[in-house]
Amino acid sequence: MRGISPPRSHLMMLFRTINLVTCLASVLLLTTCKRPFSDRAQDLSVFRFSENGAPVTMDPVQSATQYANLMTTSIYDQLYEYKYLARPYELKPRLAEAMPEVSEDGLTYTYRIKKGILFADNECFPAGKGREVTANDFVYSMRRLFDPKARSQGAWLWQGKIKGLDEWKEEGADYSKSIEGLKALDDYTIQIILNKPFPQLTYTFAMGFSSVTPREAVEYYGKEFGLNPVGSGPYKLKSFSTKKAILVRNENYREEIFSLEEEGYDPKTQSGFGLERLEGKKLPIMDTTEVYFMEESMTRWNSLNKGTEIHFGGIPTELTHMVAEELNPLVLKPKYAEKFTAMNLPDLGTVYLYLNMSDPKIGHHSDPEQNRRNLLLRKAISAAYDWPQRSRRFYNGTAALFPGTIPPGLDGYDEAFTPEMTEPDYEKAKAYLKEGGWNADNLPVLDYNGTASVQNKQMYEQFRGWMEKIGYPRKKIPYVSFATFGDFNKAVKQRNCTLIGMAWGLDYPDAENVLQLFYGPNGSPGSNSSNFNDPAYNEMFEKSVVMQPGPERTEIYKKLNQIIIDDVPAVCGISRNTPFIWHKNVVFLPSRNPHGSLFKYALVFDESDDQ
Amino acid sequence: METLQFALRKLLYSVPLLFGVTFISFFLMVYHGPDLTYTILGKNPTPEQIAEVHRELGYDQPFLKRYFLFLKEIITFDFGSSISSGEKVSSILKKSVPVSFMVALPAFILSNALGIILALYAANHRGKKNDKIIMVMAAGGMSVSFLMVVIAFQIMFCTSYGLVDWFPVQGWISPPPDYPDATTGEILYYYWYYYWSHVTVPTLASVFVALGYNTRFFRAVIVEELNKDYVRTARAYGVSNRKIMIKHVLKNALIPISTRIIITIPFVIIAGNLVVEKFFGIPGVGLVTYDAITNGDLPIVKAVVTSTAVLYVIALILTDIVYKMIDPRTSYNQ
Repeated sequence: MRGISPPRSHLMMLFRTINLVTCLASVLLLTTCKRPFSDRAQDLSVFRFSENGAPVTMDPVQSATQYANLMTTSIYDQLYEYKYLARPYELKPRLAEAMPEVSEDGLTYTYRIKKGILFADNECFPAGKGREVTANDFVYSMRRLFDPKARSQGAWLWQGKIKGLDEWKEEGADYSKSIEGLKALDDYTIQIILNKPFPQLTYTFAMGFSSVTPREAVEYYGKEFGLNPVGSGPYKLKSFSTKKAILVRNENYREEIFSLEEEGYDPKTQSGFGLERLEGKKLPIMDTTEVYFMEESMTRWNSLNKGTEIHFGGIPTELTHMVAEELNPLVLKPKYAEKFTAMNLPDLGTVYLYLNMSDPKIGHHSDPEQNRRNLLLRKAISAAYDWPQRSRRFYNGTAALFPGTIPPGLDGYDEAFTPEMTEPDYEKAKAYLKEGGWNADNLPVLDYNGTASVQNKQMYEQFRGWMEKIGYPRKKIPYVSFATFGDFNKAVKQRNCTLIGMAWGLDYPDAENVLQLFYGPNGSPGSNSSNFNDPAYNEMFEKSVVMQPGPERTEIYKKLNQIIIDDVPAVCGISRNTPFIWHKNVVFLPSRNPHGSLFKYALVFDESDDQ
Repeated sequence: METLQFALRKLLYSVPLLFGVTFISFFLMVYHGPDLTYTILGKNPTPEQIAEVHRELGYDQPFLKRYFLFLKEIITFDFGSSISSGEKVSSILKKSVPVSFMVALPAFILSNALGIILALYAANHRGKKNDKIIMVMAAGGMSVSFLMVVIAFQIMFCTSYGLVDWFPVQGWISPPPDYPDATTGEILYYYWYYYWSHVTVPTLASVFVALGYNTRFFRAVIVEELNKDYVRTARAYGVSNRKIMIKHVLKNALIPISTRIIITIPFVIIAGNLVVEKFFGIPGVGLVTYDAITNGDLPIVKAVVTSTAVLYVIALILTDIVYKMIDPRTSYNQ
């Protein structure tokens, strides 16, 4: 047996071999440590941005997600854009020469576009040279939104609003036919005639959906147009994968100089971000922007912390207390404050719990008595909903709390509202249940719906805990889980869900965009996921949508908001704040809806130049 | 010639298998997969738009008709374009499969080679301290969640608060910079450098986990061989231990070992590694497949399922051929 019982030296030999291999590998590594092209002049004009999700296409008509919108608004021009720094948000012309001329009846809009604007060079054009952008390109792009072949996600914004556009679609979307309400009067003038006043029209022309697209590119690339975007914006796409997109300066981009004053700079609130460095710079400032799509928050954090990879990212929720000294306002611990600039970015949007009003268990009912009891049940749920706790547990206690559906800062928000009004009142909730004759035996089963994520399940458990406090049996609130958002959305659109946790990011800074979520004719599969259909609300909403901003409209908005609070088709609400963080040598002020891409303003500077 | 005939015969026999795989997967995709309509149409679709997209995606067609269309796609190997992005499926796979393959290859080679070496050593010392150490370490590697290993390795090797900050946290090789005077050597060096910088940590993490499984399996096979009569006879003849282990035991154990190795090849080539790709930001086919399944992007799922099934059949045929090469007494007719 001795023959096969090896001496101890065998183990030593194995370790020696492993050591040798490790040493050889290390030597190989050390000899090849020299970074490629390190002896050349380095291209330092790169801004490395990160997002927590990826777009699947950059076709403007399908740019419904913030990720897609980020890309399309960097590559394409829209008629308008929001001033970089002005809060509340303020529009300024982008491709348009000036703000529109509007007829007295508010039905005819005339937009003039800048002359000499060129599309980026691309093989879809003759000789590969980008041609001039004309009014016809805008008309074509708007028609494409209504072309069924383009599978537009944004047509709803203009549905029934532009004269003849819906009919053009119904008649087969023939591009050779003219549309009465959508015309190019000449190469630089666009005329839009509306069916009825739509004061938010110009806002919609700052959205990625309304990007100006050359027909040649759509026809040349066919189905793959979404991956081969051709625009007249500050950047053009160099490469794209589900993990990274590289944008490079569009050499044909016009002369655009940054001005703090024009962008609405407020030294009182914005002086700590180094924005003064941008004054007088030609846009886009950086030659290249690399966009990293990083769903894994820890990977994103590690990459940001490394110092040589991404410049801009987020703080993972689980690390917020390790990184920040104070959360609201966000103050970093000294170790991180040396390296980073940070801010809590308020979302222009709201988070809701929709109650399906078409469900007779909880919604409007034809029997007046049942209708009364259902209302009291909804009121009880609303009274027991602990928004401050939701904010503490899931948003680091930084979310903005407000009753109703209109977020603070928007026209129609009632200044008399206070965050305390969102505190739970369990006694009041119990009283509502008692008044409605509800008890543990006769309370209905309410399914709580959401996608299969840990966070959704936690939010559900939290909600069930609140309901238990008012005597709602646990087993009567089951969780219905969906594998994907598409499946969840399908069930919502088919009115199969009773309680629906959702959020809405505003498309433009006008309360009409949230109030339409409760307008009866927008019921599922439209955007009114609560299927709220109240004649008084509908009538008032119809009156308000054709009104120009003013005190009368503000009053109507307030009344509409109060109806939502009183009738409880949704329990609302909060606006989330997201902590963002970026390197000290980067000048960049992040923003989300309704802003599009802000890459053209980003500056990465060499800190040694300051010393 | 005999081998070719055998391969063709096996290929023919595997047609029902391919039918079965495609039918079951298609059934699952159609009846239990996500409906992409609502993702495509965004937040405010009209019933007409929903009906339009249903029609366009063929959701309104009978199941069998859709399945026959799928079979036609398999025969022509043309799966059309991704529903989400519009990109041709062949182009998506052409870009992502090589990336996954390049990421998985070093780990595949290392975990198998090291697995065999450690298994031989452990089997040779079975029951002794060194064997126990190796087996405990293997069990340890198998017990730790791959996700944890990936995160831990990323922190250890890629961050300033880990052991060494040598490798990038995430990413993949970008196109080289446009220096007009760059030589071919410099470009090749660029790819070589960035290939290893992006692949090293994912490889270490994958080897760490796979090595445990491989070592335990290979050891069990080798120990079984060591108990056979011919080993005792060889020892009685005074054949050296090294010769017994390498020339006789390993050679005879190679049949189950090669089966295991070859069977995993299709997954190395086509299936990718979702966790590694997700955490290291690698645009491989694992991620593409995951996104396609969760989004209901049927053309991509169909292409990946079919390719995996075909490669699996090829791997099975290859296994039989390798048997014959290892042991010429094996007959193709058995």
